[in-house]
Amino acid sequence: MAETMQAFSSQLPVPVVPKLAVRELVMTRRTASRETVTATDQLTFEVATGEFVCLLGPSAAGKTLLLNVLAGLEMPTSGEALLDGHPIAGPGPDRAVLFQEPSLFPWLSVRGNVELALELVGAPAGEREALARRWLTNVGLERWADAQPHELSAGMRQRAALARALAADPDVLLGDEPFGALDAQARELLQREVERVWLEAEGRKTFLFVTHNVREAAVLADRVLVMSAAPGRLLEEFRIHAPRPRSLDDVLVGRVVTEIHDLLMREVDESVAREMAR
Amino acid sequence: MVDTSRSQADDQLAELSLTEEEKLVLAKVADILRRIRFGTVVLVVQDGKVVQVEMAEKFRLR
Repeated sequence: MAETMQAFSSQLPVPVVPKLAVRELVMTRRTASRETVTATDQLTFEVATGEFVCLLGPSAAGKTLLLNVLAGLEMPTSGEALLDGHPIAGPGPDRAVLFQEPSLFPWLSVRGNVELALELVGAPAGEREALARRWLTNVGLERWADAQPHELSAGMRQRAALARALAADPDVLLGDEPFGALDAQARELLQREVERVWLEAEGRKTFLFVTHNVREAAVLADRVLVMSAAPGRLLEEFRIHAPRPRSLDDVLVGRVVTEIHDLLMREVDESVAREMAR
Repeated sequence: MVDTSRSQADDQLAELSLTEEEKLVLAKVADILRRIRFGTVVLVVQDGKVVQVEMAEKFRLR
């Protein structure tokens, strides 16, 4: 018991410069009817190196836009997004993104897809195959290395995408509902894979996942940030100090799930009421 | 609410004659309670012993 209790007194290391930081970020988007809609409003938060953070919110809270900004795929309307204290100007090999739909190249084998990622980050040609095989083994796809993506199930394709994202050894893994399109079993398997990879990195890798699955967030994250309905602002933060791997049956996890769920339901109800009153 | 009047609390503690291990658990819980404003603390007990202390802390950001 002494050990588990000891672990408590040591808080998360808080480095001077956070790995990721978002300051007063505003994102607007134009609708088809040429209306300007504010997607995220004055969003400010930080993610420390080695943290696993889940960003949770109703649909249209601007979660994907926010993730795209951090990935360097979109620029903020105002405010700033920082990586290691520097403004994010574009995509980079230091950040990998896991999308809901695994965007594997259909003309390459599973291993070919991973090798391509390795080539893009400049891994020596002679080492790519071995590295790719190692990552595919790591996600349980060693037997499928030479298969084409279409031969794989949705869960296996997402595992291949995970192997490809991690093979490039990024500091940051950004996930945009990466398990959203999977069935319950495949989802749970992948959650375990992701958690294991994060744990094995021993504080070197920072994961930020956007999700609308409350249970997923409570099981995986050190910190859960809950966003409001559009325009997305931060409502509450939950810091979860519990050993891993966590289970949905854990009392603490269940309690956090209930609290976040109630908060989100209230938020959605209020946002509907606001819409009706307009 | 817990009665915090000194004598009564002391009496109750004396009556329990806590073991060292129990004192450690209570000290840990008190430490957590002093640090959090909103949240949940869970003690996991196995075979009569606290084997784990878990907590979730909640912050209002709006």
